[in-house]
Amino acid sequence: MTIVSKSVSEADASLTRALKIFENMPGFAWSADPVGKFTYISPNALAYLGTVQQDLDPLADEDEFGWRRVVHPDDYDRIAARWRHCLQTGDRYDTEHRLRRADGVYRWFRNSGQPARDAEGRIVEWYGTTIDIEEQKRAEATLRDRERELSQLVDMVPSHLWRLTPDGQPTFFNRRMTDFLGLDVANMDRPGISRLEAMIEAVHPDDALEFRHALNHCLATGKSFALRYRLRRADGVYRWMSSRAEPMRDHHGRIAQWYGLCHDIDNHVKAEEALRERERSLWQLVETLPAMIDCATPDGEPIYRSQQLREFLGYNLEDLDEAGKPRLAATLDAGVHPDDLAAVKEKYAHSLATGEPYARKHRLRRFDGEYRWVETRAAAMRNTEGAIVQWNVICLDIDGEVRAQEELRLAQDRLARASQAASLAELSASIAHEVNQPLAAIVANSHACHRWLSAEPPNVERAKITSERIVRDANSAADVISRVRALFRQSLEPRKTTTLQSAIAEARNLMAEEASRRRIRMDVDVESNLPLIAFDRVQLQQVLINLIRNGMDAMDCATRDKIIGMRVRRTGAVVRTEISDRGQGIHLPEKIFEPFFTTKEHGLGMGLAICRSIVESHGGRLWAEKNEPKGAIFIFTLPVEPETAS
Amino acid sequence: MKTSDHIVFIVDDDARIREAVSELLQSHGMCAIAYGSAGEYVRAAKPNLPTTIILDIELPDINGLDLQKQMAEGESPPIVFITGHGDIPSSVRAIKHGAVDFLTKPFSDDDLMRAVRTGLTQDRRARLERVELAGLRERYETLTPRERDVLPLVVSGLLNKQAAAELGISEVTLQIHRRNVMQKMAAASLADLVRKAERLHIPATHSRRAGEK
Repeated sequence: MTIVSKSVSEADASLTRALKIFENMPGFAWSADPVGKFTYISPNALAYLGTVQQDLDPLADEDEFGWRRVVHPDDYDRIAARWRHCLQTGDRYDTEHRLRRADGVYRWFRNSGQPARDAEGRIVEWYGTTIDIEEQKRAEATLRDRERELSQLVDMVPSHLWRLTPDGQPTFFNRRMTDFLGLDVANMDRPGISRLEAMIEAVHPDDALEFRHALNHCLATGKSFALRYRLRRADGVYRWMSSRAEPMRDHHGRIAQWYGLCHDIDNHVKAEEALRERERSLWQLVETLPAMIDCATPDGEPIYRSQQLREFLGYNLEDLDEAGKPRLAATLDAGVHPDDLAAVKEKYAHSLATGEPYARKHRLRRFDGEYRWVETRAAAMRNTEGAIVQWNVICLDIDGEVRAQEELRLAQDRLARASQAASLAELSASIAHEVNQPLAAIVANSHACHRWLSAEPPNVERAKITSERIVRDANSAADVISRVRALFRQSLEPRKTTTLQSAIAEARNLMAEEASRRRIRMDVDVESNLPLIAFDRVQLQQVLINLIRNGMDAMDCATRDKIIGMRVRRTGAVVRTEISDRGQGIHLPEKIFEPFFTTKEHGLGMGLAICRSIVESHGGRLWAEKNEPKGAIFIFTLPVEPETAS
Repeated sequence: MKTSDHIVFIVDDDARIREAVSELLQSHGMCAIAYGSAGEYVRAAKPNLPTTIILDIELPDINGLDLQKQMAEGESPPIVFITGHGDIPSSVRAIKHGAVDFLTKPFSDDDLMRAVRTGLTQDRRARLERVELAGLRERYETLTPRERDVLPLVVSGLLNKQAAAELGISEVTLQIHRRNVMQKMAAASLADLVRKAERLHIPATHSRRAGEK
């Protein structure tokens, strides 16, 4: 009995301890009968739910198991189905669901139950625990969110991200990269070719070799990879990429992975290229412009000279540098003609002081020592605040022009003299008169003198008087002659052997102004490659201008169609020049060449006579013909120089 | 220089020419007076002596040729033209209008003197002729109207009876008129009368042949 009572009391004690464990373990305990009705719910569970066990009894129609009210509606159907299944099959019950706390807040729990069976294997009771897993669930959710975010980040970052094995085989491409290549790491595997090779296939053929070398070098040495190359997009277009990769090492320092980043810099590269191209073309423009370009600091120190200028000067920017002497002064001293130097320096100083543009023509010494005329212009380049940041200088070699202008001026002078000569020729009568008067007086006086001396007895007094007059008149004649000679001096120029082209062009230029004033068009048609001819430029110009002017005069009455034609051709051993007009034509084609024959009101009729004598003195001929449909045509020929005639 | 029986005028705008030509003429013993312009010459009083003008064509006030034309209407003395440039049309025109010569400056002593002498001779002859003609005119004025009718018939060479028939008078009456005409006109012969009638520009109105008809 004692033993029994002792054992009863021992059993009581162990039951009490078991209950204590149930009620104090960090979780809820429960038991249910084979149809699922709770037979026991630990007090901490009831406290959590804020209910009593009777409230959790099944209600025939509304609540199959009696816990519909406390389970989260989203979870109820799922776990009810499971519980039904387990009750039928005896499978272990294991679910996660939310339970409403007394204050209405749902928390996640893991519910596990398993059946206890009798000797025959029939389920007699279900025992289960319900453990609060809310914190675990939250941590899981957070982790999941973070993972999703990370993978989104990897996919969405506007770059290509990739991962390689230590031996360079791709193991991961982010979505952007996959989209770009139209190729996933997973479907890169092809028989007989590594993933790396498959990836290199997408690199532009011109860049593939470099890519391979660079990557292999990095894989071998573990150094960071960095390269620009073109990569083929899914649509076949190559785009420039800038790629970098770093190795990740494990705690032993061995390379575990390579992580790479690669972004599309195509637009950037294209823009850069365009910019470089523009800069290059600008540079070339400056370097090849047929002008000499020069840039200087705001205080005038040269900082750049274009190739043309360097070649002209024959030295580079720094070549003249001396200690203590400004480069500008050194350049000017070395280059500018001494006669122009002071004015140039003054003008430069003025522009530098005031910021006003500079422009000046002066002579500049070329590398070979020849001074050539240049026109230099400079303007200040200013920043947005208006401060001078640089002087830009352009310098043009205008030597040819200046000389051409000088030539033109000389030619005009010669023309002025020639036309003076032409009018003098027309006034030759009056010149002859001027010379003739004293000559006639001298002759008469000489005869008189002779008479006085021959008289019996000789009249010496009168002879003396007459001889004095002879001396006086002779001097006066000599004066006239020297004046005339001075006027005609230019026609003493030696004959030059040259082509007619330049003389024709000169005559045309000289008459251009008069032609436009008189509304006359000049058509010049000169055969190229004319042979050489020896002629007196001034005299020939006199002929040309006389004939042109005659033609113009002939068309004075015409109202339209006023054209002077100048045509030069070689025919055999002569060069034939034709000057045609559309005037009234000539009625007496031979008479017009006679001296003192004129059809003009104010002409003395010497022009054509003189022209003919000039042409003939050159071994040529001058005549007139009818022009078709109207007008006259004057033709003169000049023999080709014998040396070139053959 | 002896008292002059002639005078040579020089008209030239160039003083040196005037001076030199005067000197030359004087060295030949000739008397010369020079003028600087046509106007001066025209206005000047001229002595009644045989004259020649040495005239420059290019005068400042009037062209020498035009002056020649003007003077030709009066009793112009012979002209020797001198010119700076001898253009053909001018010289032709000058000679046509009776110039003695047309000399281009500078001219030789001989050419000038020959021309001047020719001119003076011409003028001397012209003056004589003018005197002679004046005498003839005076004589002609003394003829009666009937004698003036007879004269042309006689110098035409008509026979007396033809002339008488022409005038409707008797041959005897005609002979009396003819004798009077010969006397009054101081004609030594018929030929002399014919010459004098010619000088007076009395036309031989009838041909002898026509009269024989």
